[in-house]
Amino acid sequence: MQNLRCINKEDWNSTLKRLLVSHLIYATTENNSHLDYELITEADVNRISYNRPKPVTPLKSFFLPVSENVTATNSHGKPRIIIGTPNCDTEGLGILDEMYLDKDFKDIFYKSKRENTILISADCFGILEHCHCLSYGIKPYSNGIADLSILEKGGMMIFRILSTKGEQFLNTLTAVVIPEDKNIVEFIEEKHSSTESLLKEANKGLPDYKRTGSLVSEAKKEIWKKYSAKCVSCGACATICPTCTCFLLIDKPGFEKIKQLDACQYPGFERVAGGEDGLAELPQRFRNRYMCKYVWKPERFNSVACTGCGRCIEACIGKINKNELFMELA
Amino acid sequence: MNTDGNIYKPIKAKLTEVIEESPLIKTFVLVPEKEFSFKTGQFIELSVDSIGEAPFTPSSSPVITDKLEVTVMKTGYVTEYMHELKPGAYMGIRGPFGRGYPVEKFFGKEVLILGGGCGLAPIRSLLYALEHYKDKILKVILCYGSKTPSDCIYKPLFNRLNSIDKFEAYRTVDKADEEWNESVGVATVLLDKVKVNIENSVAVICGPPIMMKFGTKRILEMGYRDEQVYLSMEKNMSCGLGKCGHCMMGKYFVCKDGPVFTYNEIKDQPDIWN
Repeated sequence: MQNLRCINKEDWNSTLKRLLVSHLIYATTENNSHLDYELITEADVNRISYNRPKPVTPLKSFFLPVSENVTATNSHGKPRIIIGTPNCDTEGLGILDEMYLDKDFKDIFYKSKRENTILISADCFGILEHCHCLSYGIKPYSNGIADLSILEKGGMMIFRILSTKGEQFLNTLTAVVIPEDKNIVEFIEEKHSSTESLLKEANKGLPDYKRTGSLVSEAKKEIWKKYSAKCVSCGACATICPTCTCFLLIDKPGFEKIKQLDACQYPGFERVAGGEDGLAELPQRFRNRYMCKYVWKPERFNSVACTGCGRCIEACIGKINKNELFMELA
Repeated sequence: MNTDGNIYKPIKAKLTEVIEESPLIKTFVLVPEKEFSFKTGQFIELSVDSIGEAPFTPSSSPVITDKLEVTVMKTGYVTEYMHELKPGAYMGIRGPFGRGYPVEKFFGKEVLILGGGCGLAPIRSLLYALEHYKDKILKVILCYGSKTPSDCIYKPLFNRLNSIDKFEAYRTVDKADEEWNESVGVATVLLDKVKVNIENSVAVICGPPIMMKFGTKRILEMGYRDEQVYLSMEKNMSCGLGKCGHCMMGKYFVCKDGPVFTYNEIKDQPDIWN
């Protein structure tokens, strides 16, 4: 119970309204049956949707905008609170942290956005068609990276404290208390295990992260030809992916540089000035993305660069389903 | 880097001289506005204002810190603009980036260098560094190949090297003209001429991908072990920081983990010669 806090939902909503004076609050809301982040105003507080998988937009968009002037003065702006992030995205943020906060080169723009954000993850009560986080060793509830995790139980909001920053934030909120009801622990455990059961049932036969690396590296050329035949190099899979962060630097007058999201699926991604291009052919680019996620990034960062969110399957206009590819490889 | 902690921000450098090395290759002499130094073999991102930037390994001595020289072949969009620049213009510099030549590891050894085309640019910087430490080096042998005599860059360099104690320099061209009285053939033909104590030496290779591939093969056939062979790899290094992803070579970011690797480090990575 020491790591748990709770607050009456009405008090929580009032608290959020007060916080709007000093913070920007982004939270998951439902629009036309789609869940996505929205910049919350006083009128929207009651519309925040908790514990539903999964916002259309990946969390990375808050930290790595599609386009950003990285030679401009880095202004912090108002502190942000992001509410409702599923754990597939918070785990993805962990991989981004390794890339952008590495000891050699810290990206000051990314760093200030991270420091300026209180991240309140939401434990998933249920799954969507393509959710498969558990296959990659990721639970449908956060155990770190986020500052807090939130669960809605009737008229009560329960917080699991995941960082000192999260605890300090809650300490500033007067109506937040340590829960006395011992059923809360049971409630949390039941929600966690029931979502895990749904994931296990839905992803039977899908090879897990212990096998994906060897399956990808040993896959024959025919697999890449077959699945890339429907790829149009639109890059949607990379754009929507919570861990794909490749970018271009575009030069503007005054030696300004605009950092713009890029994708290894685009032609010319690896082309050098002399014209050599190791990824000139579409099947090579298609394979490159899998090698990067399941073989090279794990070798470098010790974690598969796929969090099983399933967005790439939903975003693909060629209807390429990576889970089908893995089932075929297995 | 002296860019107020912002890894993306270039420092300005004044172009003070442009040296024509060959019809397609120019060397730019640059004086940075802020303190700037590099280790031989490291690279910089050099930009033309509002046009773009591209990676180059400086061709000047790392010991000289008030200016640097960058040798540029006209071969793409950005380099075409670079070749139009005149003294007095300003360029942008980010870096230095990556891991250069581990010169200290070459102390007490013979250094065999195989270069081709514009690959002589990073090698010239290495040669300056080795000259600086020549008391600690046993011998330096340069084998350099270019397509034609007019493509040979740094023409005065070879006589100068051959006049320095412990240094030997050889040239070859794929296609000779009437005045050419040196070797003819690809760069590796020069390796038959050299006398080197392989056991106590290192080999350095830098040049176009095809030369890197066959040069490495030939060097290994001579008896060099994988870990004795240093390769300066070329990929699409863009950010220089191990973040943008364009220069991934297997698990390595060439910009951050290289561009200089031993063959032993990268031989199992995919598509290294692309």
